[in-house]
Amino acid sequence: MAFSGFEGFEKRLEFHFLNDDPNPTINHQLGLRKLEFESIQQILQAVQCTVVSAVGNSYFDAYVLSESSLFVYPTKIIIKTCGTTQLLKSIIPLIYFSNNHLNLTLSSVSYTRGSFIFPNSQPFPHSSFNEEVSYLENTIPSNLCYKKASIMPSKSSSHSWHVFTATQNPHHDHDHIPYELPYTMEICMTELDPVLAGKFFRKPGDEKSGHSAGKEMTELTGINKINKEAFICDFAFDPCGYSMNGMDGGLYSTIHVTPEDGYSYASFECVGSVNNDDDDAIVHVLRKVVQIFRPGTMSVSITTCSEYNNEVWRKVASALEPLGLKCRSCAMDQFPALGSVVFQTFTPLRRKNASK
Amino acid sequence: MSSSKQDLNTNKFCFLKVSKLKDRGKMGANSSNMEYAHHTSTKSPSSSHILTFHSTAKWKAHFDASKQTNKLMVIEFTATWCGPCKYMDPIIQDFAAKYIKVDFIKIDVDELMGVTQEFQVQAMPTFILMKKGKVVDKVVGAKKEELEKLVEKHQN
Repeated sequence: MAFSGFEGFEKRLEFHFLNDDPNPTINHQLGLRKLEFESIQQILQAVQCTVVSAVGNSYFDAYVLSESSLFVYPTKIIIKTCGTTQLLKSIIPLIYFSNNHLNLTLSSVSYTRGSFIFPNSQPFPHSSFNEEVSYLENTIPSNLCYKKASIMPSKSSSHSWHVFTATQNPHHDHDHIPYELPYTMEICMTELDPVLAGKFFRKPGDEKSGHSAGKEMTELTGINKINKEAFICDFAFDPCGYSMNGMDGGLYSTIHVTPEDGYSYASFECVGSVNNDDDDAIVHVLRKVVQIFRPGTMSVSITTCSEYNNEVWRKVASALEPLGLKCRSCAMDQFPALGSVVFQTFTPLRRKNASK
Repeated sequence: MSSSKQDLNTNKFCFLKVSKLKDRGKMGANSSNMEYAHHTSTKSPSSSHILTFHSTAKWKAHFDASKQTNKLMVIEFTATWCGPCKYMDPIIQDFAAKYIKVDFIKIDVDELMGVTQEFQVQAMPTFILMKKGKVVDKVVGAKKEELEKLVEKHQN
């Protein structure tokens, strides 16, 4: 086991803004997409990461970063970064630019992460969840007065789920069509099958750009089959590592891989809507992801509005059990503005003898 | 994951300006109010090698003329409301200054919707590389390294 390697586990921030001008001008409708790139760059600089690839469609902009991903919608921003980035330092510049340049008001913030493989390598303010919550409470505007912080446990595995959320309106009110039930699914995987993880290493001496090597990995590993409708913006890092953002209309997905043995990690995140047709989408996605990574431990966190949470944990478990993954823990909690979070961990029925 | 897929093949870009973006689900809603984009951020190209076309007729004329030469054309489809396009702006200006044998062209997807559809552009920026009227390569996304490799490969 390596003493200290690259930290794959990401920190994730999601910001929602109000755009309630009754007579929106064209510029106002675009909301956060009107942010000057220089402003985005300053926000990213605060977090110590840079843009590596990017693409946009009529719904949102997606950036692949040196340390994960950024999604910009008109009233929502999601930043997800790994390694030893100080993600929480993005809050102050983002609020500054959105208030002063765009006249947008922050209405909610949520921060989530798994458990770091190398927690002692994390800089301020990420050395502990207490420190993170403290920093968050000191930097978020005071109008976000409904707050909750919680660590959702799992029985024995090293995966637990940390959640902090703050909102000015405790009722789940993010823009969504009433008859659709939106969900966000975040999957964290460790102890990846070494042969499968090997596909995320660059071939020595290949003359490809990171973009075309990334495209090759997407196709070779079958990542392009997870959602055939999605446009994929991918990148392969040198000598190893992979990131991708998927765009399917207004829905994003994102994958990040740290393939090195000893601290291998992969994440998959997507948003979707549950209606009758989409019941199988979650199942299909989960199965494909397991097929691609064959992890030793897998945690699944699903954020959804309360009407759906009673079924979702069952759906996840029933998707994974036929693949030999047994549900070891299941925790559920409610958070203001987020709705309900279900957190489950899975390990193979017959545990592999990992040689460390 | 389903979405309103049909939108991608219709005039989806102009709807951004008229539909309320709160209706995240069906952005391709029918609308009879078509407006042209206004350029809220104007950066005049510092290099004479970046051409912009504001009418289909002018573009067609240039395109037809280009078939007579063996010059590489890099056509960038951009939108004023797309962040990744703004990210690429300075990079394209550098390329235009560096690769003087190559023609760099910018087409705004809201202005020249017909041309945009003709090239089946669905995400921005999209770079279409053409020689003698034929597409030789394509890059979808703000991919500096990849685009540079292809420009070097196809330029004379």
